[in-house]
Amino acid sequence: MLRMRSLLPPLLFTLAYAVVSLGVTNSYYQLILTLVPVWAVFGLSWNLLSGYTGLISFGHAAFFGIGAYATALGQIYFDISPWLLIPVAAMLGGIAGLLIGFPTFRLQGHYFALAMLAYPLAILYVFEWLGFQEVTLPIKRDAPIAYMQFADPRFYTLLGLAIMLATIVLTQMIERSRFGMALLAIKQNEAAAEAAGINTLAWKLRAITLSGAIAAAIGGFYAQVLLVVTPQSVFGMLVSAQALTVAMFGGVGTVWGPVIGSVILIPLAEILHAEAGARIPGIQGVIFGIAIVCVILMAPEGLFWKLRDLVRKRSAKATTDVPPEAAAANVTTLKPAARQRAAKGEVMLEVKNLSRSFGGLKAVQDVSFKLHKNEILGIIGPNGAGKTTLFNLLNGFLKPSQGEVLIDGRNMSGQRPHVICEAGIGRTFQVMRPFLRMSILDNVVVGAYVRARSDDEARKMAADAVVRVGLSAVADRVAGELSTKELRLMELARAIAGQPRILLLDETLAGLGHGEADEVVAVIQQLARDGMTIAIIEHTMQAMVRLVDSFLVLDHGAVITEGLPEVVTRDSRVIEAYLGKKWVGHAAN
Amino acid sequence: MNKISKGLSRRTVLSGAAAVGLAGVARAQAPAEIKVGLIVPLSGIYTRPGQVMKMGAEMGIEHINAQGGIKALGGAKLKLVVIDCGDTTEKAKNAAQRMVAQEPDLVAATGAYLSSFTLAVTEVTERAELPVLTLSYSDLLTDRGFKYIFQTAATASRQSELGLPTLMKLAENASGKKPKTVAMLMDNTATSVATAKALKEKLFAQEGLQLVVEEVWTPPLSDATPLIQKVRSAKPDLLLFMPNAVSDAKLGLEKISEFGLGQGKIPTVSFSITIAEPDMLQSVSPETVQGIMTIVANWGSKGHEALIAELKAKYKEPWMTQNVISTYGDMWLMKEALEKAGKADRNAVAQAFRTMDAGPSKYYPGGQLKFDEKGRRVGAGVVIVQWQSGVPVTVYPPELAQAQPFWPKKS
Repeated sequence: MLRMRSLLPPLLFTLAYAVVSLGVTNSYYQLILTLVPVWAVFGLSWNLLSGYTGLISFGHAAFFGIGAYATALGQIYFDISPWLLIPVAAMLGGIAGLLIGFPTFRLQGHYFALAMLAYPLAILYVFEWLGFQEVTLPIKRDAPIAYMQFADPRFYTLLGLAIMLATIVLTQMIERSRFGMALLAIKQNEAAAEAAGINTLAWKLRAITLSGAIAAAIGGFYAQVLLVVTPQSVFGMLVSAQALTVAMFGGVGTVWGPVIGSVILIPLAEILHAEAGARIPGIQGVIFGIAIVCVILMAPEGLFWKLRDLVRKRSAKATTDVPPEAAAANVTTLKPAARQRAAKGEVMLEVKNLSRSFGGLKAVQDVSFKLHKNEILGIIGPNGAGKTTLFNLLNGFLKPSQGEVLIDGRNMSGQRPHVICEAGIGRTFQVMRPFLRMSILDNVVVGAYVRARSDDEARKMAADAVVRVGLSAVADRVAGELSTKELRLMELARAIAGQPRILLLDETLAGLGHGEADEVVAVIQQLARDGMTIAIIEHTMQAMVRLVDSFLVLDHGAVITEGLPEVVTRDSRVIEAYLGKKWVGHAAN
Repeated sequence: MNKISKGLSRRTVLSGAAAVGLAGVARAQAPAEIKVGLIVPLSGIYTRPGQVMKMGAEMGIEHINAQGGIKALGGAKLKLVVIDCGDTTEKAKNAAQRMVAQEPDLVAATGAYLSSFTLAVTEVTERAELPVLTLSYSDLLTDRGFKYIFQTAATASRQSELGLPTLMKLAENASGKKPKTVAMLMDNTATSVATAKALKEKLFAQEGLQLVVEEVWTPPLSDATPLIQKVRSAKPDLLLFMPNAVSDAKLGLEKISEFGLGQGKIPTVSFSITIAEPDMLQSVSPETVQGIMTIVANWGSKGHEALIAELKAKYKEPWMTQNVISTYGDMWLMKEALEKAGKADRNAVAQAFRTMDAGPSKYYPGGQLKFDEKGRRVGAGVVIVQWQSGVPVTVYPPELAQAQPFWPKKS
């Protein structure tokens, strides 16, 4: 059902496009109609890597050019048909993606973008040096069809459309699967993604391999259409820019973006060239540039998202909003009675002599504690006490300088975060990182994949997690529309969707009003009642005293004391650490 | 396309029949127009040569029409269709597609300046069976077994084969001794690479030249200092400087002058028209370029004085480069073919080009108005041009020379 529904729009679009192109007999208009799917597919391949992961590639021409040259040179030197060469080109592009991705993914942000820029430029000179300045495809007068040389240019358009449809469907499948979710999670926050159990490097490598393969395949097809391959025309800066332009104009991170961009921009550029360029040579570039600047200014995320927002706004006005009370009604009300203290049962997590220093600063020194099954441990301490650093050591963001982290008796210190997540530790963050464009349910699904074997199972687990935090009434809303409290709950749901046994909560109550904090506390209590083991960092003492079974107090990276809440709150060292020496006497009274 | 072209030919047959039927009437009426195409870069970084080619084409058409048009077609007038082929291979291909689709009654075309563009354009025109004349050099253009391309200039490898021995003779006559060592500075564009290949593989050895410095750059050249430093320390008898962009030429020549190698201290020779473009004088002084020679496929020469004067008066062009004279000549060549074909049909015109034998050529150096089976003009020669007092003048071959060459004396 779902598959069919998502398949229908691209199928209809492709059919409509095919019908239009079959009616065009002018070979020049037909060429433009062929170039639209070519650049759309190239934009889609860029989008697959950069749109979803947010790692901007300025160098997709590298793959495009490799495909184009493989297809051209294979015909010239080995007399192989492009029907065979284009799949070979795709393979080469995939390999190139892997080879380029492996070293380059060490970099992030602008550094990644700039490093990517270097590849096609370097390859361009290699091809010039090899003497491939101008390569023309040989005309096959006796077996044109076997060499993809159609007398009727409409066949090229149809072939281009077929590749575009395949790419759209592939992208849609990826978008909805764990692959797409992983990429989106990486885009929003790579660290959070790792913490949610996603092996980010592996997914990024898969993305660039696939992206490179698609780009190379369409590059090969483009060579077939262009008939002449020069390093500038396939490895040039303008080629890489073309992918960015169509995708950014149409919309980044959506399958329709590059398609929309290409359908509008490619014919526009050609028409301007043909019409305006004949009268005032060069004006076409100016108009084209201004048009792009205007669109980017008015719709910075691309046309698709702008249009979708407009449509959403209109439909939101039509259907009255769900009253917020309905959502709140689902939250378990706080029971004043403290829950039954967990018996000191089985040890889930044991920390032994854990230390970490940054240069001379000892952020965490010699911390040891045990987390028992079904216990809620509150980790408190003044700002800079090393609480978050401790969490980062526990879930693998940081490698300890010394000491051990034992999960179920196995030493996991120094493991990558996604490995530790698989071992059963979930966490939330002090700074929230929701995926604003996605619905609550989709946000939560990201966290479920670490346990789920199939996409369906992941959806089920995510839905279950959403119910547990009491957000089921708003599960379909986009995260961008939520309140802070709902976002906190959503983050909680994402953390528990992967069914961890131990949950690390980093200042989950920060920024909440009094009543709101109580609602969140109630949810956490319910989780504990259901058997979850929890460690929580928090500043709000009041809420903490009611919530936790025991406290661990840190100051200057070291444990001051630990024990039951009523004992710890009276401890003079704790008061001193929090409030200063002179308050110790006051507190005693 | 088969179907389309069949439809087209049926239509042309019909219109041909109609023309025969109406011949009497047609003669009485104003003669019909015959469209010929000019597909050149008119936007982007190659605009300037495209504009100059347009001047040549316009002058050619004007002269032909003023002298009675195509006589075999009742004095039909030629009409120029100008198409901008942009500044990339893709744009050139698209423009060519536009040309054959929107202008179905073109009988011939000329273009497209850069050989990469001509390659792309002719891939399209070959399939549309439209004959194209070109002044591009690349050997590849006429090595593809195409039937509808006609190269009026000597190919790149042929130019160096013809040019270098001539140059050596010139040096020997003027200075009394043959150069022995040579330095070569070149960009890595297709034309330079093809020229250099012929030089290194065959010609240097043949002429007894020893290559002492070889440096290649990718345009645009950012700094010529290291290149010229190498030349200065090697002190060659001859410097081959092969830029294809005016800015690169300027940088190199200024540096040569700055290092005290200019004004013929080391005789400098180029293989493209870039170094003799009027634009050069906007960025370097006449003293800097004095004595520099270049080997080109065509140039305004002896016998073209009236044309050069008209070009100066009409377009304010100080002299006539290959782009003007070749494109001007192309128009006359098309007229010749139309007269021979006797009908305004692209296939008939193409056949006329193939079978043409119209004697010595007036607007191209050397050889005949005749094409071999590859589409190369038979006997196409080269011209050596030398900067003399701020003007590049033709100094070789003697029958075309506007001035005597001088070989810069080594001091």
